[in-house]
Amino acid sequence: MTRDVGLGTKLIQCGVFDLGKTQELLNSKALTAAQLDQILQLASIAADADLVIAKFVANLSWLELPAEQLKRLALLVGASIALGELVEKRSELLTALISTAPTNRDLLVADFISTVENKTGERARSALKQRYQGQLVSIAARDLIAEIDFNAISTELSWLADAVLAAALQIASSENPDQANKVELAVIAMGKTGGNELNYISDVDVIFIGKPVGDTAEEVAMAAGAKLASSLINICSEPTIDGVIWPVDAALRPEGKAGPLVRSVSSYLGYYQRWAETWEFQALLKARCSAGDQELAAEFLTAVTPLVWQAVAKPNFVENARKMRIRVEENISSKEQGRQLKLGRGGLRDIEFAVQLLQLVHGRADQEVRSGNTLAALAALAAGGYVGRKDAEALHQNYVWLRTLEHRLQLRKMQRTHVLPENEFELRVIGRSIGLRQDSASELNRSWEQVANQVRDLHEKLFYRPLLDAVAVLPSESVRLSEAEAEVRLQALGYLDAQAALRHIQALTTGSQRRAAIQRTLLPVLLHWWSTGPNPDKSLLAFRRISEALGDSPWFLSSLRDDAQVAERVAKVTSASEFLVNMLLRAPETLAMLADNAELIPISVEVLNEEAAAIISRHTADPQRAVGALRAMRRRELVRIATGAVLEILDVDQIGAAITTVNKVVLNSTLIVVQEKVAAEISKPVPTDFAMIAMGRFGGAELGFGSDLDLIFVHRPHDGVAETEATPIATKIAAEIRSLLMAPHPDPAIEIDADLRPEGKKGALVRTLDSYQSYYDRWSISWESQALLRADYAAGDKKLAADFLEVINPLRWPNNGMPEAEIREVRLLKARMEAERLPKGADPALHLKLGKGGLSDVEWVAQLIQLRFAGAHAALQKTSTIETLQAAVELAIITQADAAVLMDAWRMSTKIRNAITLSLGKNSDSIPIDQQDLRNVAFLLGYATDSANLMVEQYLRTARRSREVFERLFYDS
Amino acid sequence: MDKQTEYVLRAIEERDIRFVRLWFTDVLGSLKSVAIAPAELESAFSEGIGFDGSAIEGFTRVTESDMVAMPDPATFQMLPWRGSQQGVARMFCDIKLPDGSPSYADTRQVLKRALDKAAKMGFTFYTHPEIEFFLFKGEREDGKPPTPSDNAGFFDHTPQGADNDFRRAAITTLEQMGISVEFSHHEGAPGQQEIDLRYADALTTADNIMTFRLVMKEVALQQGLYASFMPKPFREHPGSGMHTHMSLFEGDANAFYEAGARYQLSKTGRSFIAGILAHAPEITAVTNQWVNSYKRLFGGGEAPSHVCWGHNNRSALVRVPMYKPDKAQSTRIEYRAFDSAVNPYLAFAVTLSAGLKGIEEGYELPAEAEDDVWSLTDAERRAMGIATLPSSLNEALSIMEKSELVAESLGEHVFDFFLRNKRAEWNDYRQQVSEWEYKKYLLH
Repeated sequence: MTRDVGLGTKLIQCGVFDLGKTQELLNSKALTAAQLDQILQLASIAADADLVIAKFVANLSWLELPAEQLKRLALLVGASIALGELVEKRSELLTALISTAPTNRDLLVADFISTVENKTGERARSALKQRYQGQLVSIAARDLIAEIDFNAISTELSWLADAVLAAALQIASSENPDQANKVELAVIAMGKTGGNELNYISDVDVIFIGKPVGDTAEEVAMAAGAKLASSLINICSEPTIDGVIWPVDAALRPEGKAGPLVRSVSSYLGYYQRWAETWEFQALLKARCSAGDQELAAEFLTAVTPLVWQAVAKPNFVENARKMRIRVEENISSKEQGRQLKLGRGGLRDIEFAVQLLQLVHGRADQEVRSGNTLAALAALAAGGYVGRKDAEALHQNYVWLRTLEHRLQLRKMQRTHVLPENEFELRVIGRSIGLRQDSASELNRSWEQVANQVRDLHEKLFYRPLLDAVAVLPSESVRLSEAEAEVRLQALGYLDAQAALRHIQALTTGSQRRAAIQRTLLPVLLHWWSTGPNPDKSLLAFRRISEALGDSPWFLSSLRDDAQVAERVAKVTSASEFLVNMLLRAPETLAMLADNAELIPISVEVLNEEAAAIISRHTADPQRAVGALRAMRRRELVRIATGAVLEILDVDQIGAAITTVNKVVLNSTLIVVQEKVAAEISKPVPTDFAMIAMGRFGGAELGFGSDLDLIFVHRPHDGVAETEATPIATKIAAEIRSLLMAPHPDPAIEIDADLRPEGKKGALVRTLDSYQSYYDRWSISWESQALLRADYAAGDKKLAADFLEVINPLRWPNNGMPEAEIREVRLLKARMEAERLPKGADPALHLKLGKGGLSDVEWVAQLIQLRFAGAHAALQKTSTIETLQAAVELAIITQADAAVLMDAWRMSTKIRNAITLSLGKNSDSIPIDQQDLRNVAFLLGYATDSANLMVEQYLRTARRSREVFERLFYDS
Repeated sequence: MDKQTEYVLRAIEERDIRFVRLWFTDVLGSLKSVAIAPAELESAFSEGIGFDGSAIEGFTRVTESDMVAMPDPATFQMLPWRGSQQGVARMFCDIKLPDGSPSYADTRQVLKRALDKAAKMGFTFYTHPEIEFFLFKGEREDGKPPTPSDNAGFFDHTPQGADNDFRRAAITTLEQMGISVEFSHHEGAPGQQEIDLRYADALTTADNIMTFRLVMKEVALQQGLYASFMPKPFREHPGSGMHTHMSLFEGDANAFYEAGARYQLSKTGRSFIAGILAHAPEITAVTNQWVNSYKRLFGGGEAPSHVCWGHNNRSALVRVPMYKPDKAQSTRIEYRAFDSAVNPYLAFAVTLSAGLKGIEEGYELPAEAEDDVWSLTDAERRAMGIATLPSSLNEALSIMEKSELVAESLGEHVFDFFLRNKRAEWNDYRQQVSEWEYKKYLLH
């Protein structure tokens, strides 16, 4: 037993995963202690220790191999199930383990050709495949023992591809001598092979060039070439008893799979000159001669290379580049999202694409950056000053790490995969294979996440940081992008007015040292975010203006520097909301709210009241300053609420309630200020109680960012005070309130609308409670009852307001419901309004307030229910549309389904109305007609920039359903 | 640049083409055309041709008044009647907004959306229409009844008949434009013709129908006749229907086919029919869009006005044609309500949506109607659960107005425009005083 315990510990030490199984295996074999030690020693250096033990136990003769060979064998078996089995089957491959690297590409190619010389058919194919496998084992062995680095491995794999293609062409020619006599054929490597950066397992991308021999006609020669080419493809791609080499893919040729397999140089040239798209030029970046006639290949490359660099000059290049960028970003929403080394965010594609785009932008003027190899191109871009040297170095390391990981993944089963396994054992093996020995599975996950994050960040810096250097006053050590180059690049990234954008960048990165330094770090990220929004140019300008307004305010700079969320929110606000930008420009310090979610929750009425009281007491002597300070407080709260709306922290009901609360607090405090002022003027306390009643959307707590406040003013003279004395004083109070709230001031005014008072504009602005009582007793008409439905306390004397509401309650909530004749009048009034009230030229379908199925339709349904049933049901005595509808459902007056349709429509209309104010900085009740405005509004509501019309479609659908319910409930029931 | 675009540009160069007509269809199914010079074509492919959409029937949507017609190179054809020298070619267009997103007002887009939905469920939709129409003598005079080109009947072969010449010329022209004709013959009424197109995917078929109508009119004019697709020109003769065979394919396999099932009709096929039947009254305003359409539906003959299905039952709304052994691929159903003056894009879209709804929700197929439904009494039909299609445009609109299915498949804009336009048509019609009324009421 003691031996077992000892063995278990040893097994753990050398990295065995399945102890039970391995122990059982070892116990079943009579191994000498030396053999066991040797095997465990080998297992401990390998990735899959379990497998190494199993394989060596099954092949004890292997233990007699020389030490170096043995070590390589263990590494190979541990890293690759597939190659391990191959070596087990074909012992002659054991020598490949210690073969040395080919001295150069040409020797390797010559060696492969001689392997198949004078052979055809099965014999030739078999010889080629076996030779290929031997070379693969040799590369893998040197890779795993770290004799060669990533660059050397992928270069050698690409040479190997050249050698195989050359040998396959040799076989094809020997088998088809008639065709071979008619045509010279060149094989051009594209893709990873072309870039000398091939994987272990990958499609090998090629295109074929043909040239007639002697006076063979071109069609005949090309047909012969096609025969040879397809034979070559078959030799490499078709599975035989010796396996498959790799699929050869010729789909990058002109017209893809539909085009001819072989073309002449002039035919290629004609195609590329006239028809090729941007991606096809991008593919040509990596073209190089791989096999066949070298002169012909050189002729082709000389002819097409200049075209690649002219592609940049194409008028729609910028647009194409933008689309390409978006496509790459969209492509990655796959199921394997987080585990995709190639296509996932922060994966290989991100790096390759970034490098290629930069090459296309700058390669036209600078030949040095035209390499087809990703790492070489990156180094050249850094050397040329187009990207930061440190960024390039970091990216280089990440790229190598990712590619090495990809190699290990592929070696495992010799399968073309780019997805990290989920299975813990496999993860562990892969982790060990790249040298993570402790807790290798989770360590691997962690490292991958880290690398992906870095790549994502670097990606942005790579594009944008050099732009900053281009406009820097003091040129940095390495980067030297010219302004013209910077402009082309900005355009490719979506900034239409690149000159202006550069000026903004320059302004933002110069000036005070601290600010410039922080903004230099931050701008690359911001520029990237803006480029995904509807209006990059405008967003950049907005940021510049805010930043300049803020100056060197320390919290701003430090929160931008330290908190990624703040930066992202700044980007969102500047992209989406003109309203907020304008507000922030007035008081940039409010931007501090972005740093803290708790700051974005509306402040309670109590806390606001306290602050307002403090303001009043600070400015007792100066009503104007007092009200100015109240307005500043209101502006700050509007910023808070608007930010909550833009960042989708608040829903539409919360927004309406919060704006209403702020306005009530400001009104109430303004009234106190005014009462004190008037008291001072008349040298005695104001002899009458005063209250303000909220009407309309204000009464319903449904205000938007641009709403007026509908109000009624009421007063009640103190005992013994004559009405004739009190009313002029009350009227003066009301007038003062209006003028102070509307006086010119940097903070937004509050518009008060008192037109809902008795007799409208002709009536007295302020009445006593008794006067209201007698008016409503005698004169009131049905529309007034309806308007009163939304009356609620706004500010001032609470007792008086409550008494006022007592007076109107019997009117708005008649005991037995509104008489049928009056209800008919209400219906008729609505019908007339539909025909008349819509502004001239407005599209009724798009009018959020008065259009079909819009706000007014929903509100009138709720109000009609109240006029009829609120007398009998206290639950319906509400001022809010949504609450009224909910109560009506509970009382079974309307169905849940109908109410849901109406509430959906009401909320969507309100949301769009708010979004219009927020995004365009102006009030409108119509969905914008202008496409750019529409895109901005839709972006704020979370629609992608090209699906603004989806928002319209969804609104029309919601409104149509609401209209159907409205017509049924309002006119028919 | 894709191959098709390249082909078109090359063809223009090589074939002496002087004008390219860009075609699209308004909401009511009228063909619209704008001609451009070949030199403008390349930019038309990449950027489209801008126009003011508010000038086109049904495109009046203020947010989208700037529109762009993007030619679809796959639809490139020469117009044979314009001759081969200095020729004219045409392409159908998709209507887009200046930013490249599709316009919700474009009826071709409506069909594409429905086809996309089918594609997401794994289906391709194929249709094959039998188009009936009339040939009349002389020239069309406003408000006057037309004179048929002949007095022959169903399948009649008239010696030296003008109709033979017409059909020969018409079919030749169609084939020159790449539209294959399956079958053609003289129909039941004097002057009435039927030409059946070969089956194709629904978008191609709809394009073909638009082309077909124009070709028939052009060829008729060349022969001193005129062609009309009016649904019901004569009280005493049958009208012009467009019975349409439909099938869904999953890859290469016909999804309606199931060996051994009754009529070899799969569950998918049965649910598809059930969907069409369940929603037939809702979609009728689209499939039969004119006041006159209802005179065909309710004017006797073989017109299918009752919502039922049958196997080779010529009175049923949906017919399952006789299955031919070894023809699994041709399993299909025939919808018989469409008339020849339909907007094929919209009609195919709503019918497909109804059928897909049946598949999605697993609708059960009601019992088959084996009798001639026309000969049953109202009470018998009620007892058998056979509903009747709306009997007028007005009734059809009232039913359509409440249909989420139609609103969703047409899109809110087209839905709303269509209802408004058709209500206006009905109101206009209601104010007319007809010859019949003079005969009947003048005595009073």
